[in-house]
Amino acid sequence: MTAAMTTVVRASRRATAPRRPRRSIALYVSLGWLFLVVAGAVLAPWLGFLDDPHRPLAGPPEAGPSWSNWFGTDQLGRDMFARSVWGSRLSLSIAGPAVGMGVVIGGVLGVVAGYFGKWIDLAVSSVVNVALALPALVFALFIVTMLGQSFWNVTIAVTILTIPAIARIARAQALRFAAREFVIVANVMGARWPRLLFREVLPNVVPALASIAFLAMGIVIIAEGSLSFIGVSVGSPSITWGNILAAGRGRLEESPHIALTTGGVMFATLMALNFVGDDLLRRLDVREARI
Amino acid sequence: MAALRFIGVRLAQLAVVVLVVTLLFYWMLNLLPGNPCVAAFGGAATPEQIAQCEQDRNLGDPVIVQWAKWGGDVLTGDFGKSYLTGRTFGEAVSNALPRTLLLLAYSQILALGAAIPLGLWSGYRQGSAGDRLITGGAFALLSAPVFVVGLVLMLLFAVRLDWFDLSGYQPISDGLAAHFKVMFLPAVALAAGLLPIYLRLLRTDVIGTLQEDFVGTARAKGLPVRMVLLRHVLRPSSFTLLTIFGIQAAQAVNGAIVVEFLFDLDGVGSLLVSWVAAREFLLVQTLVALIAAVFVTVTTVVDLVYAALDPRVRRR
Repeated sequence: MTAAMTTVVRASRRATAPRRPRRSIALYVSLGWLFLVVAGAVLAPWLGFLDDPHRPLAGPPEAGPSWSNWFGTDQLGRDMFARSVWGSRLSLSIAGPAVGMGVVIGGVLGVVAGYFGKWIDLAVSSVVNVALALPALVFALFIVTMLGQSFWNVTIAVTILTIPAIARIARAQALRFAAREFVIVANVMGARWPRLLFREVLPNVVPALASIAFLAMGIVIIAEGSLSFIGVSVGSPSITWGNILAAGRGRLEESPHIALTTGGVMFATLMALNFVGDDLLRRLDVREARI
Repeated sequence: MAALRFIGVRLAQLAVVVLVVTLLFYWMLNLLPGNPCVAAFGGAATPEQIAQCEQDRNLGDPVIVQWAKWGGDVLTGDFGKSYLTGRTFGEAVSNALPRTLLLLAYSQILALGAAIPLGLWSGYRQGSAGDRLITGGAFALLSAPVFVVGLVLMLLFAVRLDWFDLSGYQPISDGLAAHFKVMFLPAVALAAGLLPIYLRLLRTDVIGTLQEDFVGTARAKGLPVRMVLLRHVLRPSSFTLLTIFGIQAAQAVNGAIVVEFLFDLDGVGSLLVSWVAAREFLLVQTLVALIAAVFVTVTTVVDLVYAALDPRVRRR
């Protein structure tokens, strides 16, 4: 047996061993970061040390990061740190309701389809499959164009994007639990469908949905970011992460810090969301949803 | 016979879905308050012009008749035109489409070209430091929005190092060097989003396949590891890659819209964005309906190829 052969064997043995969930520092760092970002977004108007994001000449124009302007300033001298925090406020206040509605609507559709099966499942599944095959951003662009660029219209557009994926995962989970012994036993004991659905199946699907919410949050933040990056989200003078980055693109040569700082914050937030979501899914052993 | 029947069923499903999806997009425009023909002229039209547009678009008819007439026009090659600029839909799209298709093709080649060796290797060396580096990197890439990746690439390689141009699209006919100088960074930015998805799936597959007996047999025959990985381990995973390729096609187009905007490539995505900005509802509607139709078709074709390669699928 050569060395390479033993590696193959060893690799296979390792693959069959159950994976232990990691309880790593990275998880706590992620949670801490998310807490910071959310706290910043919620408390932005009351944070004394935070500049007014619209005030020109909060520092010298187009200055790099410094002690007084942590993320530097843009060409009007507005404080980029304040703009990043206020940007997170709008991005998160779209993502929050969008994910909430997406999880409720997608979750109900998926659970009902998975539990009842037959034609309901066929109807929901075929709509979901078609929706998943379409480029979501094109669809979101279309909705926002048709309805107009306002906070709620953007929220509606990105909500619709999350529904198919969430419904698919909820359906798979419902299917898995509907066949479990405790549901069958409850059925044999005379429980009717509302009890079976709401008391037996649904509570088991909820933890998976909660962890998917983290992943969906990341997707929604990217979707809203893309829309505002191409100029089709909530209009000016609203500040979003996407339109800060779009403005930073024009100033890459003179002030790269505009794109790099906000881009970095956005990247860190998305990574933290994915990390927490992925970790939760691993603990719950949900296979359909792993990103 | 069974195969023919399978193809027939899938094609019938495809036709139904295309009809329903385009009708849906058509019907949504009717939900708009106001007259799309008034909007199409940017609010500066004579009553005759509006009447002409209304007649072109059959606005007097019920939605389903409008849609049927639109479908007939599209099938005979009449896609409408911009009432603001007089440019036809066909001209605009035929100019933009090659750019988008090239961008998509390059990014898929880059993504697969990197994902296959990395995925094979990290699956084979599961748990090693290299594997953890690759999976960690893939996880980070998965969290990076395409516009952030694009901006960083732009800053590093076009602004700072000046290796690439940001001059907008250059066709291949202007020379391959000029073409790739503008297309390489956008393709890398787009590939960065696709790579981790391919890589992670392939890695999972490889770990599963390595446990199969035939892998041990191949090794026992004395085949070198590289041959075993390429010939015996990669081949069963091609199904997974094909499936995910179909699913990711839609994802790639999302990214392409943003990348084209970022790098001024004036592809189909940029066209869509500029029409949206100019409130060219009628053109947006036709383009979105066509994109939807193309995607539903791509998914069906992938399904059929899948069935051709793997007989088990047909019996489901």
